[in-house]
Amino acid sequence: MSKFLKALSLGTLIATLPLLAATAHAGDAQKGEKVFKKCAACHAVGEGAKNKVGPELNDVFGRTAGSLGDYKYSKAMIEAGNGGLVWDEATLTTYLTKPRDMVKGTKMAFAGLKKQDDLENVIAYLATYSSAAAPADQQGAAEPAAEEAAAGETETASADTSAAAHAAPVSETRDGGVLGLGRVATDDEVAAWNIDIRPDGTGLPEGSGTVAEGEVLFTDNCAVCHGDFGEGVGRWPVLAGGQDTLTEERPEKTIGSYWPYLSTVYDYVRRAMPYGNARSLSDDDVYALTAYLLYLNDLVDDEDFELSKDNFLEIRLPNEENFIADTRAEEPHYAAKAEPCMSNCKDSAVEITMRARILDVTPGSVDDDDASGMGSVD
Amino acid sequence: MTDKTISKVPGLSRRSLLKAGFAAGAVAGTAGAARAAGDPLITEIQDWNRYLGDGVQSRPYGMPSEFEADVVRRDVEWLTASTESSVNFTPLHDLDGIITPNGLCFERHHGGIAEINPADHRLMINGLVDTPLVFTMEDLKRFPRENRVYFLECAANSGMEWRGSQLNGCQYTHGMVHCVMYTGVPLKLILEEAGLKTNAKWVMPEGADASAMTRSIPMEKALDDCLVAFKMNGEALRPEQGYPLRLVVPGWEGNMWVKWLRRIEVGDEPWHQREETSKYTDLLENGKARRFTWVMDPKSVITSPSPQAPISHGKGPMVISGVAWSGNGRIKRVDVSLDGGRNWKTARLDGPSLSKAMHRFYLDIDWDGSDMLIQSRAMDEHGFFQPTKNELRAARGENSIYHNNGIQTWYVKADGMVENVEVS
Repeated sequence: MSKFLKALSLGTLIATLPLLAATAHAGDAQKGEKVFKKCAACHAVGEGAKNKVGPELNDVFGRTAGSLGDYKYSKAMIEAGNGGLVWDEATLTTYLTKPRDMVKGTKMAFAGLKKQDDLENVIAYLATYSSAAAPADQQGAAEPAAEEAAAGETETASADTSAAAHAAPVSETRDGGVLGLGRVATDDEVAAWNIDIRPDGTGLPEGSGTVAEGEVLFTDNCAVCHGDFGEGVGRWPVLAGGQDTLTEERPEKTIGSYWPYLSTVYDYVRRAMPYGNARSLSDDDVYALTAYLLYLNDLVDDEDFELSKDNFLEIRLPNEENFIADTRAEEPHYAAKAEPCMSNCKDSAVEITMRARILDVTPGSVDDDDASGMGSVD
Repeated sequence: MTDKTISKVPGLSRRSLLKAGFAAGAVAGTAGAARAAGDPLITEIQDWNRYLGDGVQSRPYGMPSEFEADVVRRDVEWLTASTESSVNFTPLHDLDGIITPNGLCFERHHGGIAEINPADHRLMINGLVDTPLVFTMEDLKRFPRENRVYFLECAANSGMEWRGSQLNGCQYTHGMVHCVMYTGVPLKLILEEAGLKTNAKWVMPEGADASAMTRSIPMEKALDDCLVAFKMNGEALRPEQGYPLRLVVPGWEGNMWVKWLRRIEVGDEPWHQREETSKYTDLLENGKARRFTWVMDPKSVITSPSPQAPISHGKGPMVISGVAWSGNGRIKRVDVSLDGGRNWKTARLDGPSLSKAMHRFYLDIDWDGSDMLIQSRAMDEHGFFQPTKNELRAARGENSIYHNNGIQTWYVKADGMVENVEVS
């Protein structure tokens, strides 16, 4: 009964939506397209958009939260939908400002958009792919190509001015050096980019973080791709486990089983994670996440363990000793450097031992619908 | 050769089917017409012969003919979790010569394509230098520059074939390679501008993209032939190739050619970054892993005929064509076998032979119309020969992922169709 009432009120809400959106709509869809790049690692929108890590966003305006049948939502999001949450400009604005404040337990790892402009623009962009959005936007949705073309023209027309606005500093010479080109980098500039860490600890910043703190951060920022226990979702990287698998047919190369140095974990998480929102974690956050990754790999067993600049070098990863130099030149086929055989090189007629069509995972081939092959490029 | 027989062959790409089908139909059609009045394409006046075409400037940036629309990069969806950290492949089977057109050079990104206004781009040199420096693009273009043709191959090229033949098409088995002419400043000049300290032994390039790609490179290589490049094939780098600036590390694995290059740090030891520890290290059968396996070994592949480029004619004269390259220097020789490696003939190298660049080879044969198992085997100027896949497996096992330069076999059947196979 209550569900029925909720559904009823939902209908009313949807009916009023276009009006709301029409009056309140302030964003620039074109700028929003750029902002959407922050979302595109996990969400698709537009023609043929499919669910990725996150649900596809066509017709998200007017959609009840957690309602796409073919997407696996968090419990929290489904409950929010059952409670009457419907996406519109207002609810999206609240959600995208700080997702986890609005829907506690959402799978979406994204921390939120801080700038009001970005919020308005990305929502305007999404509106162009929602028929339930404002009439003003439907026009845009109907002719996105024309809009783009027009935008292209504008850009070409104003190329001179934008180039001027974006002019590079005039190249000047300085005293010293060989040619006197370039300018001296300031200390702040070097500090801003020079964030790399070496195995000997060079580059480690001040700070610390515990396993328990790391667990919260991991659940919020990382688990959506890497899984709650670092087991990896789909083809996203597995971070934990795999010990003693390196000589097996399917080795699992994780931080605990394969990586030689802990410094690489800190360095990489700080420079490139979370995927699609790099450089958003504090130095303490990265210490906490690194500590939690040690915990997931059974390399520390105390949730109160605190990793810091001071004890960082005390941790050694188990596989460090198993990395060796490049010994390819010593392999028999290279070491010999002998003239290869040119005729009658095999005793009997050559036979085919394996055919790709037997394990055909070629894109575009006849039966590739559920094709999934072996191997990896990364 | 009829459409019926072709469609019975499983594992063939739609494109190959279309291509072969059209060819067969065209032959039959023109033969019939010739007996009557002649080929209407000759005897009748065609539209393009009568009416004016587009004028100049209708295509301010020229694109390939509409009839070449299927000559494109392709990806393998199941390989990676997202397209932003993924790879697509150069259509080697559709190309000739040694230069890859800019729009067809394979892509490998770790955080998507960074879009950077060159006016906003900076290159910083810091670490063990006398003076840490910042360069704008304008500054860099005031340095003396060089033009060099180099291949770039991803270390994981052919990585999906370690456990056996898997993908039908040299685009997929060998397409993580391209070869273009770079214009850029020798890295040596830029490092000298900052002044190297005596203990400067390594450099670490860093990208400006969302993966902030980093690799350690020994100083000897940095001072030898590395370039800081801003042009490819005469025009600006494409965004997907690192616009406005990328590092060129000739002959070494593609991952080191950092795109969107924004910083070069100088140090006394390597940094052991993610891409040189957890990735781009070669796991051997005994559980040990090689690291810093930089050089790309001698390698070759026959690009035509190949699974995506079947033979569309009957027996008689035909060209077997392919590419070869080596990170050690020039290709000295390429041998081709038609019988699965029992007997070999030395192919003809044609076009420029440049160090650490792609080489084009041809073997012109008179095909008797019977099955063939075709292979190519490259040898570089230092005497290194391309090994067989089984020799590589014997030395390394099957879990190496990277540096698979084993000899490729294509099974060419009497109907002209081609399959990726392995042989005894």
